[in-house]
Amino acid sequence: MNNHSVDKETPASTGKIAVKVDDLTVAYNYKPVLWDIDLEIPEGVLMAIVGPNGAGKSTLIKSILGILKPIAGSVSIYGKPYEKQRQLVAYVPQKGSVDWDFPTTALDVVMMGTYGSLGWIKRPGQKEKKASLEALEKVGMLSFKSRQISQLSGGQQQRIFLARALVQNASIYFMDEPFQGVDASTEIAIINILKALRKAGKTVIVVHHDLQTVPEYFDWVTFLNVKKIATGPVKDIFNDDNLTKTYGINYKVSIQE
Amino acid sequence: MSSAQLEIQLIACIVAVACAIPGTFLVLRKMAMISDAISHSILPGIVVGFFITQDLNSPLLILLAALTGIITVVLVEYIQKTGLVKEDTAIGLVFPALFSIGVILIAKNANDVHLDVDAVLLGELAFAPFDRLFINGTDVGPKSLWVVGTILLITITLLILFFKELKISTFDKGLAASLGLSPAIIHYGLMSVASVTTVGAFDAVGAILVVALMIAPAAAAYLLTTDLKKMLALAISFGIFSAILGYWVAHWLDASIAGSITTVLGFVFLMVYLFAPLKGIIAVMYREKQQRTEVSLLTFLLHLKNHDEVEERHVNHLNEHINWQKVRAKTVLDLALKNNMILIENNVVSLTKKGNDFTSKAIDYIITNEDAQIEDMKDDFFLFRG
Ligand SMILES: Nc1ncnc2c1ncn2[C@@H]1O[C@H](COP(=O)(O)OP(=O)(O)OP(=O)(O)O)[C@@H](O)[C@H]1O
Ligand SMILES: [Mg+2]
Repeated sequence: MNNHSVDKETPASTGKIAVKVDDLTVAYNYKPVLWDIDLEIPEGVLMAIVGPNGAGKSTLIKSILGILKPIAGSVSIYGKPYEKQRQLVAYVPQKGSVDWDFPTTALDVVMMGTYGSLGWIKRPGQKEKKASLEALEKVGMLSFKSRQISQLSGGQQQRIFLARALVQNASIYFMDEPFQGVDASTEIAIINILKALRKAGKTVIVVHHDLQTVPEYFDWVTFLNVKKIATGPVKDIFNDDNLTKTYGINYKVSIQE
Repeated sequence: MSSAQLEIQLIACIVAVACAIPGTFLVLRKMAMISDAISHSILPGIVVGFFITQDLNSPLLILLAALTGIITVVLVEYIQKTGLVKEDTAIGLVFPALFSIGVILIAKNANDVHLDVDAVLLGELAFAPFDRLFINGTDVGPKSLWVVGTILLITITLLILFFKELKISTFDKGLAASLGLSPAIIHYGLMSVASVTTVGAFDAVGAILVVALMIAPAAAAYLLTTDLKKMLALAISFGIFSAILGYWVAHWLDASIAGSITTVLGFVFLMVYLFAPLKGIIAVMYREKQQRTEVSLLTFLLHLKNHDEVEERHVNHLNEHINWQKVRAKTVLDLALKNNMILIENNVVSLTKKGNDFTSKAIDYIITNEDAQIEDMKDDFFLFRG
């Protein structure tokens, strides 16, 4: 991991709140898809957001990141509004949210992660390029740097997105289904990177669909289905009761520890 | 070449470049239709501006008309947001409405002035050199050259300043927003540039040519490259090429310049659409055919591997056994032979060692569902490479 720039006076679980969501309600075309969400995410956790399709998981992340304007409620990052804390936050959108036929290369997409710290008008230079190449290396995609992005496989595209978030060198990472459509080895590669981020004191929030792997990958979990069902440590709240409340069907699943 | 001819071509080229730049981003944002909408719905803006200024080239008129362009975009987005109709329907609702307001305004008030719908929509490049700009009594060139020149200069400046922002907000709006590079500002900025360009150019070349110049070169360039900067450069080159060639075609045929440039643009796009090496229709069809042949070859080899009986492997019976037409069977047989996958002795086909290895591997991959590996395998066995 990128240890040299980790500013950690704080080991994992410092008691600090990294992300706080208050009374958040979000609607598309006046139809609320998130109702009155209250959420506190402690610093240093690796958290899964779980919930069925259409539960509002992506919407929650987009509202926290100021991409969507909520109709009520507020969000703060380390106690301040998102607009003041952009530099602290990195985002990996759902893979299907962009046009992969866009004429650009893998390296170029990763470099986009540096645009935030550059601000308006300034162009990326050697420093940004070097950081991007390092990020590509970390996700094992260096040899694909000049590939046009449509000529990458789904798992490779996901790695590129991850590299783009890494290059932002943030404190809080939001990832919308980073394991979507990747094979087992890529999944392990990604989860190892996420665990390394947590080890470096970062907070990582991941929308996750594979319930079987939640206890193995994450230490914190939020159940979401339009409303917040529960949030807390995986060992305490990841149980059939919450799963049933969230997914609406009876969950006598074989989720062993 | 007379100086008028030179001026016409210069104006056409400048308009082509000024259109290709926003056009590239419109095509990438799948918003080609919006330029058509803008080009029509600016009419009321032009009419109102003309009543106020009495001058078709006045900057105020250009601004007013560009404002109507923005209003079009806002209205389209508003209607779309209600979720009742799709974007193209929304466009189809807004621009005829605004356009007809313009037509009514002209019909009611403009009987005595030089302004008619035809002039707005078609324009006449051939007359551009006659409307000249004088500064302190000296002739500094055609007015429209100055208008489109200024617009081009602004467009290029904005492109250079905001290239990175344009790129990220076109590729990934969400990321741009989360990084604080407001995609909304870029979006409306781009729409403003498209509107201003359309308005500034319509007097010289007409609205229809403006739309063609925005979309056709960019769409052709999109099929040829995987690099945004190259796409811009290609779009600009196609635009300039079509402008100049179109001019001379019009000259030889004594036809409308705008019409002939539009025709050349259409022709350029058609050629690229057919012959682009990767995304062109012919290349795509060829690839599909090749894939079909590959699948057939694999089926054929599997059949051979599964059957030891001589009658199943007799050349003359292959047709009935795998149920192929003669031509197809022959192509596949030839391909297998060329790749040393099979042997034919006394009209009986059998697998070679290479063919056997290839087939076993393929079966393996098919069973384990690792399609990607079959692609690699083709490279390993030099399939289609002699
Ligand atoms: N742009 C939009 N316009 C209108 N409705 C939307 C829009 N985006 C999402 N929705 C609706 O909002 C709800 C929540 O969507 P969201 O994308 O947040 O779900 P999700 O939990 O991320 O689902 P998935 O697991 O399928 O990604 C859904 O009912 C969806 O139909
Ligand atoms: Mg989602």
